[in-house]
Amino acid sequence: MSLLRVENVTKRFGGLVAVDNVTAEIAHGEMMAIVGPNGAGKTTLFNLINGVFFPDEGKIWFEDVDVTRYPAYRRAHLGIGRTFQISRPFGSATVQENIAIGAMFGAAGGEIDVDQAMDMADHYIGLIGLSSHRDKLAGGLTPIEKKMMEIARALAMKPRLLLMDEAMAGMNPKDIDKMVDFIKRIREEEGIAIVALVEHIMRAVAGLAERVLVMHQGAKLVDEPTKAALSDPRVIEVYLGVPPGEADA
Amino acid sequence: MFLEQLSGNLFQGLILGAVYGMATMGLSLIFGVLRVVNVGHGAFMMVGAYCSLWAFHGLGVAPILALPLAMLVGMGLGLIFYYTVIRRLIKAPELATLLATFAFGVILEETIKLIATSESRGFNWDIGKIDFGFTILPYTKLIAFAGSVLIALLLYWWFNKTRAGMAMRCVVEDDQGARVCGINVEWEYALSFSLGLGLTVASGVLLTMFIPVGIQPYMGGGYTLKAFVIAVLGGLTSPYGAFFGGLVFGLLENGSYSLFAQIPGLEPFAMTRFFSFVMLLVILLFRPTGLLRAR
Amino acid sequence: MGAARKYAPLLPVLGLYAALFAIGLLVPGKWQLIAQLVFYCALGQAFNLFMGMTGYVDFGYVAFMGVGAYGMAVTVSSLSDKGLGMGVIGIGLILSVVFAILLSLAVGAVALRLRGAYFAIATIGVNEGFRYLIEGARIWNGSEGIIFSSQLRELIGREAAMSLSTFWADVMVFGVAGIATVLTIVYMRGKIGYALAALRMDEDAAKVMGINVTRFKIIAFITSAALAGLLGATAWAVKLTYVYPADVFGIHYTVEAIIIVLLGGAGTLLGPIVGGLIYGVSKYYLAVYLPGFQLLVFAPVIIAVIVLFPEGTVGMIKKNLLGTALEKYIL
Repeated sequence: MSLLRVENVTKRFGGLVAVDNVTAEIAHGEMMAIVGPNGAGKTTLFNLINGVFFPDEGKIWFEDVDVTRYPAYRRAHLGIGRTFQISRPFGSATVQENIAIGAMFGAAGGEIDVDQAMDMADHYIGLIGLSSHRDKLAGGLTPIEKKMMEIARALAMKPRLLLMDEAMAGMNPKDIDKMVDFIKRIREEEGIAIVALVEHIMRAVAGLAERVLVMHQGAKLVDEPTKAALSDPRVIEVYLGVPPGEADA
Repeated sequence: MFLEQLSGNLFQGLILGAVYGMATMGLSLIFGVLRVVNVGHGAFMMVGAYCSLWAFHGLGVAPILALPLAMLVGMGLGLIFYYTVIRRLIKAPELATLLATFAFGVILEETIKLIATSESRGFNWDIGKIDFGFTILPYTKLIAFAGSVLIALLLYWWFNKTRAGMAMRCVVEDDQGARVCGINVEWEYALSFSLGLGLTVASGVLLTMFIPVGIQPYMGGGYTLKAFVIAVLGGLTSPYGAFFGGLVFGLLENGSYSLFAQIPGLEPFAMTRFFSFVMLLVILLFRPTGLLRAR
Repeated sequence: MGAARKYAPLLPVLGLYAALFAIGLLVPGKWQLIAQLVFYCALGQAFNLFMGMTGYVDFGYVAFMGVGAYGMAVTVSSLSDKGLGMGVIGIGLILSVVFAILLSLAVGAVALRLRGAYFAIATIGVNEGFRYLIEGARIWNGSEGIIFSSQLRELIGREAAMSLSTFWADVMVFGVAGIATVLTIVYMRGKIGYALAALRMDEDAAKVMGINVTRFKIIAFITSAALAGLLGATAWAVKLTYVYPADVFGIHYTVEAIIIVLLGGAGTLLGPIVGGLIYGVSKYYLAVYLPGFQLLVFAPVIIAVIVLFPEGTVGMIKKNLLGTALEKYIL
């Protein structure tokens, strides 16, 4: 049984086909990267998996449950967590409260009570190294801190699948390396599958991801182990605009 | 007998509907461009009604001549309100602009009450009528109808044939893109807001062609609700949708009045107003994007 | 958080109400003013439970107060000759809550599916619409309303009816304020408080976090409506012994509720109370010195609050007390 299976999923916005007949599967604990240029449909695909909107065609299965028409909060209860490309912290709440909200409503199907959630939040705050900011309002954090807090908030939901949208955008190489180590750690400790979304294959993701799914204009271009994807001519063409070999012409 | 009365009623409803529709165009324009809901809509119409009253009693001229004045008053108010308040609330949650426009309405009502007292006023501008056989239409109402249609056409021309109007449309489509094209989005917002309010105040003048009595500071409330029903009917963001929505509403309102009048034990006037409220809920429930797919 | 810390904010609130009660009883001639102030506090607290905590504005809110008043009026006028005595008042209170809840379910079924501005539009006609239904279909005597003073006298005797309308009705309003206070703090400290705060700050992110926003909105909406019903039943019906549709569905009560919550601080415990006091006292003195000017003064105040300090008085105080010892008393 795969963890997530997306089957022939299509999403249109007016005349634009944002996601075009995509099929993909993620296994428990797997680490996958979805890459593609701007407008390739990556975030829309995330939104479909997550429940932000429903597909026009196709089905989505989470652990053999048909979640195609489940609203976002039910998918959260089942174990799908998500971070956003542009952080969306609950600005007027403290860091602890933010993370606790994730625990309270996301973990264990929403059965965790307030005090338990606060304790869980403390654990995750420690994990991301923001213990000194525990009672600070989330709106006052730096962008990097907000990103980390969002990850902790998503983790507090005890997801089995974590969708990370451009988690490393705008970071310098040192921070990227730290983030990569962090992701490796949580994957091992929490045993969750992670699907990371990036604009282009970076050496960091290449080091982390077991498999890469390349999207182009809404459709799936390739879906193969990382090493193969990196040297796949189709992928190179999508990024450089010319087939390999002609790039120097 | 009933049929003749009904068709007369429906005809009148259509005529009135044009005025209602024109009155709502401002509301839809403001929402379409700025995503601001003018909850004080009725109060602005009330201001227009007073312009009309003043023209007749104060200046002794045909009230319809108050139309350009009302337009200017509305635009002036719009610029003032935009630059003092709305501009600062663009980034604020929706709640903020809702309450702000509501407060504008209250300010207008209370100010007019101070100036003119809450006494209900009116005028009688009788210039004859035209007999259609199944119904009689005073020329005043015909003028209002013609005025509404004219203004709707002018607006259409403005949006599609003038640079200023097309710039406004660009802002509706994509305000970032509009900026990149060199359009001064800030100014377009201000202009839309003031144009929208100008239309709303002007519609108050046209309304008095139909109902030249009962002009008092708090008369706007009922029209706010009607305007929302019409706006939602027409798709909330489209001024043209609002115009056609107005026609539909006029028909429905008068038609329902005839119907309710037939049922004993019911008060048709009150029931019609209840009915418009139910219409609003029904549309919002089933087709919040509007019954009419206007651009 | 320990129970003491959790419920510490109740102390200033209960203390305030106790002080008001004492002043009202002990200072001659001030009872009416105090009663009026507590009415505004209760109104603000009830309204805050939905608007303050979710950020959605229900422009038709007064409709719940209106049906609550009718609930009491209908009960007293129909059960006065059954020999049930004061129990009828209790039944009236229950019926007023039932009416309010039923109306809120009907309105909520449509309105709560809508976001932001659409929600406000959907609610804008509720009070008017319901009033016109009553008048149009001649329900409950239509536009003539219900006068039940004689039935009340028949029910509990002349003396009791008198003291009920002039004193105990106001005490009941204190009671409603107390209930509102308890409900507010229980909600704010419980999961529902966090859910509402999250959906107020970012509804879509809240959904992704596993919050069933619709469910929580409904709970807050119904609670707020039920309290409004109680308020209408006590402050209007029992106090005046008559109910007219034109009176009890007037939009200006919603306006007042908005002013009170905004001035005091939306989404806080103390805010609506502070707002109620400021508004009540201001209105009283304005009525004395500048009669007829109240709304003209308050409307720009609303705008000033929205633009300059949207978090309200208590919100500002909270910001300034962050990190101090007093913080735990201000919720």
